[in-house]
Amino acid sequence: MARTPSARRIRKLIAERERSRGLLIAFEGPDGSGKTTQRKLLTRWLESSDHQVVSTRWASSPLVKPMLKVRKKIRTLSIEEYSLLHAVDVRHRVETTILPALWAGKTVLADRYLFTALARDAARGLDLDWLLHAYSPLLWPDLVIYFSMTPEDSRRRIASTRAPHFYEAGQDVTGIEDPLASYGRFIDRVVKEYNNLSVVFQFVTVDAGDAVYRQHTHVRQLVEQAAKRPWLEFSEEAVEEWLIKSHTLEA
Amino acid sequence: MADQVTYPGSLIAVDGSRAKDVNAAANAIASALKASGVECAISRWDASGLFNELAEGARNDRNISVRSLSLIYAADLAFRLRWEIRPVLEAGGVIIAASYIETVVAFGGSCGLDEQWIRQLLRFAPEPTIHGRSKERKTQRPWKRRTDRGYCEFAAVMLDVSAPKRASHAARRVMISKLDHPRGHKAIELDAKGVQAVVKRTRKKATGSRPAAASQQSSRPRSGRK
Repeated sequence: MARTPSARRIRKLIAERERSRGLLIAFEGPDGSGKTTQRKLLTRWLESSDHQVVSTRWASSPLVKPMLKVRKKIRTLSIEEYSLLHAVDVRHRVETTILPALWAGKTVLADRYLFTALARDAARGLDLDWLLHAYSPLLWPDLVIYFSMTPEDSRRRIASTRAPHFYEAGQDVTGIEDPLASYGRFIDRVVKEYNNLSVVFQFVTVDAGDAVYRQHTHVRQLVEQAAKRPWLEFSEEAVEEWLIKSHTLEA
Repeated sequence: MADQVTYPGSLIAVDGSRAKDVNAAANAIASALKASGVECAISRWDASGLFNELAEGARNDRNISVRSLSLIYAADLAFRLRWEIRPVLEAGGVIIAASYIETVVAFGGSCGLDEQWIRQLLRFAPEPTIHGRSKERKTQRPWKRRTDRGYCEFAAVMLDVSAPKRASHAARRVMISKLDHPRGHKAIELDAKGVQAVVKRTRKKATGSRPAAASQQSSRPRSGRK
């Protein structure tokens, strides 16, 4: 086991990396709000300006994805299990995808970040304080773009494309058999939670009802103006823990 | 979130640094309780199968942190509480949890994780009625690197495959010292005398309450070496 470097040395390394590290941008919003479309458009635009971009999607960690998939399919997850497995997913992606990419100077676009879990799990009745604890230490995104839409619009958009899945529709908590009816009730709570989170975590709002090109223009402006949230001030513990674990310090 | 409910049943937590000793202690308590006429069930680590699936899925990628492992332990414990522990407690029965909270707290602490973080994470779990500690054996040895035995042995495989044995040994010693001084409550060491003390206390509480027909609900120990 390698000797743990001093806290002072780690702080120095983090401070030195601040200038060259990449930007972490989170895309948040209810289902059907156009996050993925905008994330793809932004990726193309950033890549055309010679930025290296890494995208990371919700529940995509190779470690947790198979476990979650099976359990979601057979609808066997309790609220706590559902929440904890998503916390593992986020933690694993932060440690293996997001932080290594940021450290290497790449821009990371997170198609849903931990706020999705906070909003959905709080809507399921879990204590927000406990949720924040499960996700700590937090790696704060530099920019959170929230695609805002009313619960009714979200329901309408989802209804026109597909039937929501059991957990997506919140059927585990509403007990309503019709997925769309359940989704309508559940998304109402989720949007309320998002609105609360937007204040605490300083989301920047984009109107999801706008035309796609207008939204994209707005997103570009936001990214151009985005300032880094200094790691030492916001995310020191998360970065420090990763540095020690990944042996990046020895390199 | 915190489980403040007082259940009519009894929860006996058995923690330790070595799964073989934890399971042996749990079995000894179960046998002694049955011999004295008290039915009980055992809830074991990885009843949810999460760790088993993780071992299968992570054969080529063991890039996982102790924090992530603690979160998976919490998910497994949530499963065990839902399907094995709470139903027995609600029915007024006796359930042995092998292992429970102190194992993951002490292991995480021995790997440098903030113990308070783990305790807060697991605050949905009820406090045990009795907290027992398996008698530590072979304390001079590091953990066996096996994914099918217990949490610490599993973590020893997943966390640092290239670490020398002495590092694993040092971590185990730290874990044992943490188990020696758990916060808030004193654990009963589960040697022959300790097992009898647990049985006596459990019988005292169980007298008058309905015995749980829960023997069949016990989660089985993980199958042998694959």
